[in-house]
Amino acid sequence: MILTIAVFTGLLFGLLRAWLSKRRYEIPQIRHIWLVLIAFLPQWFAFYLPATRRSIPDQWAIVALITSQFLLLAFVGLNSYQQRYRNRLGFWLLGFGLILNLTVILLNGGLMPISPESVSRLVPDAIQGSWQIGSRLGTGKDIVLAVDQTRLWWLSDRFLLKIPGRDVAFSLGDVLIAAGAFFVLCVWDSTQSDLIPTDALKTSTTQRG
Amino acid sequence: MEYKLNQLKLGIARLDSRHVRLALVILSLTLFVLGAGAPESPGDWGR
Repeated sequence: MILTIAVFTGLLFGLLRAWLSKRRYEIPQIRHIWLVLIAFLPQWFAFYLPATRRSIPDQWAIVALITSQFLLLAFVGLNSYQQRYRNRLGFWLLGFGLILNLTVILLNGGLMPISPESVSRLVPDAIQGSWQIGSRLGTGKDIVLAVDQTRLWWLSDRFLLKIPGRDVAFSLGDVLIAAGAFFVLCVWDSTQSDLIPTDALKTSTTQRG
Repeated sequence: MEYKLNQLKLGIARLDSRHVRLALVILSLTLFVLGAGAPESPGDWGR
């Protein structure tokens, strides 16, 4: 929810920016979209689709999460490589955020750690026994781990945001991913870089040299 | 009914590749952030 807000805010700012500068909004040139669709599929079954997420065992959910995130890393890697320099910032942020999340997930058994204190603050009126240390939190991507049991705890879901009606815990990686999505849609600008193609620049520099 | 159907067909025909490209970009970024991010908000557990 909070991450999808970043996508739509980025689009809104991008459109506003184009409108203020009286230019047409440049749609980001994203390639290998099929890879995202394939990558997201295991997570859709494991964490999002109510009919399946309850019946999928934790071990399978872990496999789904890690496999999916490696595929997403390939997607962002391929796109970062293909973009012109000035358009890479958004993809770098997306990739760096994903690497941070994936690292802390891999080091803590395959799920994103969250401390018991954060869970208590997230749901102060939780039913007793609805969560316990060392177990997966509901059908989500998090596992409850004490801070001293968590590797790289500072990369875990340690930040809390109070949104009316829906509080949320998130990680540093999530912040970078949100910023990346925002920048891809908002700061995208192919007009100027396309005027002087990178190859032409290289050629002219070589000739001068 | 037939008039409404024709209106719908016209509407779809007006969607050029630019709109489709934008929709695909939004879809892919939305799925990416949902897949890459791991924020936790109390859903149906604990209540």
